[in-house]
Amino acid sequence: MKKLMKLFLWFFLLLLNISFFWMTAFLIQNRYYELGITFAVLIFLIDFFVFNPKGYPYRYIIPALVLLFILVLYPIYFTIKTAFTNYGTGHFMPKEEAIERLLYSTKYTYIVPSNEVVSYRVFMAYDGINPTDDFIILFSIDDQIFISKKPVPVRRKGRDVILSEGILQRIESETFLYEGQRFKIVPWPSLFQEIKLLTTEGKSYKLFYAFDDQLLDINAPYFKTRIAQTHLANTDFIEPFSGKKYALRILPDGSWGFVRIERLYRLAYEEVYEDGRMKLKMILVNNVTNQRVQEKDGVFYDVNDKGEEIFLVGFIDYIGRKNFIRIITDPRVTGPFLSIFGWTFAWAALSVVLSLSVGLPFALVLNDPRLRGRNLYRTLLIIPWAIPAFISALVWRNGLLNETYGLFNKFLLPLFSLDPIRWFNDPFWARVGVLLVNIWLTFPYMMTISLGALQSIPVELYEAATVDGAGKLRRFSRITFPLLMTVIGPLLVSSFAFSFNNFTIIFLITAGGPPIPGSVTPTGYTDILMSYVYKLAFQAGTGQDFGFASAISIMIFLLVGTISLFNFKFSGAFEEVGR
Amino acid sequence: MRKFAALLLVAMAVFVFAQQKLVVWTSEKQVGILQALGQEFKARYGVDVEVQYVPFGDIKPKFLTAAPQGQGADIIVGAHDWVGELVANGLLEPIPAFAEINQFFESGLEAFSYGGKLYGLPYALEAIALIYNKDYIPQPPKTIEELITMAKNIQKEFGTEVRGLIFPATTFYFVVPFIFGHGGYVFKSTPTGLDVKDIGLANEGAVKGLSLLKRFVDEGIITPGDNYEIMDSMFRDGRAAMIINGPWATKAYADAGIDYGVALIPDVAPNLVARPFVGVQGFMINTKSANLLLAKEFLINYIAKRDTMHRIYLADPRLPARKDVLELVKDNPDVVAFTMSAGNGIPMPNVPQMGFVWGAMDDALNLVVNGRATPAEAARNAVERIKAQTQ
Repeated sequence: MKKLMKLFLWFFLLLLNISFFWMTAFLIQNRYYELGITFAVLIFLIDFFVFNPKGYPYRYIIPALVLLFILVLYPIYFTIKTAFTNYGTGHFMPKEEAIERLLYSTKYTYIVPSNEVVSYRVFMAYDGINPTDDFIILFSIDDQIFISKKPVPVRRKGRDVILSEGILQRIESETFLYEGQRFKIVPWPSLFQEIKLLTTEGKSYKLFYAFDDQLLDINAPYFKTRIAQTHLANTDFIEPFSGKKYALRILPDGSWGFVRIERLYRLAYEEVYEDGRMKLKMILVNNVTNQRVQEKDGVFYDVNDKGEEIFLVGFIDYIGRKNFIRIITDPRVTGPFLSIFGWTFAWAALSVVLSLSVGLPFALVLNDPRLRGRNLYRTLLIIPWAIPAFISALVWRNGLLNETYGLFNKFLLPLFSLDPIRWFNDPFWARVGVLLVNIWLTFPYMMTISLGALQSIPVELYEAATVDGAGKLRRFSRITFPLLMTVIGPLLVSSFAFSFNNFTIIFLITAGGPPIPGSVTPTGYTDILMSYVYKLAFQAGTGQDFGFASAISIMIFLLVGTISLFNFKFSGAFEEVGR
Repeated sequence: MRKFAALLLVAMAVFVFAQQKLVVWTSEKQVGILQALGQEFKARYGVDVEVQYVPFGDIKPKFLTAAPQGQGADIIVGAHDWVGELVANGLLEPIPAFAEINQFFESGLEAFSYGGKLYGLPYALEAIALIYNKDYIPQPPKTIEELITMAKNIQKEFGTEVRGLIFPATTFYFVVPFIFGHGGYVFKSTPTGLDVKDIGLANEGAVKGLSLLKRFVDEGIITPGDNYEIMDSMFRDGRAAMIINGPWATKAYADAGIDYGVALIPDVAPNLVARPFVGVQGFMINTKSANLLLAKEFLINYIAKRDTMHRIYLADPRLPARKDVLELVKDNPDVVAFTMSAGNGIPMPNVPQMGFVWGAMDDALNLVVNGRATPAEAARNAVERIKAQTQ
């Protein structure tokens, strides 16, 4: 049994190794180098821990290790890396991909105006009565007949084919040699439209599709889906002597035909004098205007005859510290920073203090053994915590706080003949509103952790205090509260950090509003740093700015990290636990 | 090891090949009809068309995340003002010229064009208009003064139970008719496209438009808390006499049994017609789609046809983008009214800079409606903000 178990474990390890190796290979092939390396390091560590006796104790952390690498380390690395790039709207693809597109995508081709009459017929090798994907195309270009077999991929990226090519060979007689095989055209001599069959050693290709032949329309779907889309979509058929290229396009009349095309851009080399030496530099050149493609701020531009720059495609570029410098120097960012930072701090601190001051009394009451039906109360009190925050936030926003139809303004306040409160449009009340919601959502957490801590306080202490003549208040302030704090102190610090970044509540309730008049950025009175950054990076602009957002989130991490560190030191939380 | 990896890759490639299908992302209203059309396309071509429902507001963000990775839909159905951003990210494939293109309204094609290329196949135009409940309003108002009197009368008669006029006063899109009517504009239109440096949202006309909005509030017919959801549900419940909304909403009102009519938004001043934004809905192709040719075939040789367009109209009655389809549906008074409203309208800019305008203007409207800034102040500030961000 034990042996079987061991065998099973070895087998499992083998599988793990295989899958990780495969993943590494796959990722690196697809240019996800970092993630590939992450997997490689991970499997190396796992094997090391299993095989090396010294690594024995670490065996048990392997599952945690996997999660640590994939969910923590890699995202941190990725964030830091992104912070130094311009990744965002207009800069979505790596530079290699941008160049690849300009050179090989069908988008960057143009149809060469010509009087040539190009038509084609597709001949298919059947398997029984079923068409296969073994086919041959005959072209008629200005009454000359050309042949090409299934085109072959010439450029790949990972498993995607980026460009295929077929070489055209002219046919001048009934039988001819093509790719080392002897072919025969039936019937011959004939008009191009009358060719019915191509035969070669032991195989025959029957006429399958021609866009100008009504009788073959029945095969059009198969041709379009299985042949054209799969093998001809981005394919150049090249006539080797003239160098002319032909490609499949959907023509204005809706039919699929071949036209003469050219690529819009080509690679060229330019000699540049750099660092006292001549160097060859790769550049892109527009084939129509013969102008070189300009590269500026992570974007490729074409220059037209008026000298205007025309946006072609943007790419992800390393821009060094620019994002960080922008945080410090851009008045749009720094302007409202202090007031937002102040409110963020107040918001986080008040959230913790107020929800604790609601949660703790409940905990004290629930902790009293004289209270009957404690479980029921506890369950009821935990409900706000158990309901997903998204739902309660929406209920608060639309049901309770709505300025016209909300519970407060429509029923509660008129009851005391008070004026309605403008929950979303008055800066002060908007802040009160978000705090109210957050307290409602977090007090059960405070209550729960306090309850746990209260139960750990030895009863003897209270007995001794009672004997010494301490009253209820004194017992609370001298015994309960200090002992409670040593236990829940660290938790309070972490909930401070959590509130500091509690984007969800702010965004769902007020979305940061009401707006601060006179600000040039989308800033509101309830905006915390996180929501402000979100607006700057994802909403304010022409789209998203991941690079900038990453830079800011690193800054916020440092900020929260520092505050938490001070908090821990100040409250001595770690020392107490460590002792 | 490498051989094994290669083998697995081949296996995966075969799997992917076998999965030849077109994925379409569309919002709620078109899912049914597109599914039916997809079935027909499959019957003809043997290619699955998988129509996936994605909430309208999520289509663009989702597409922006998925498409660069070579994933996501082959075709998305969305608004023309996404084009600028999507093209800047290199995510859209131009649609080649086709024979029946001249059957489409020029404004629709123009809206989907960017840098001289067509990036979307328009199927519906839309513009907001005045929708009124015939139980309260027998004859729609022709001038703003009439509108205000009518709204006040209704409120006098029914108290807080029925609103005379309600529209989302803090949403730029719904306030545009008043601003543009008086002569405001977002970006100056020039022969070579929009000039994003020339912003007309704080000019005399724009301020007049905002002052009119302020007057609605001061006269007590618009309240600061009004938003789209409240407007929509009140009209559906028969508790609003007049609203400003678009053709997408009317089906729900008819279903709710409301006897409604559609009319032009009243002239903002004598001889100054209200000018709403004209939005265009259409189909766009993912440039990284593995089935580019088929996606183009689907749009050009199938969706763009008159009969298909007519069927889409029947399922989701918005103003058709094809002229000959409009001819077919001319007996529908709603369509005529909305078309007239769109006729007065101005296409929503599709340049990426438009992204700054929405937030800035919504905030400005908020300040005006809540009386925290005068119309002139709010407008000037909004323009400053847009300029600071577009520089």
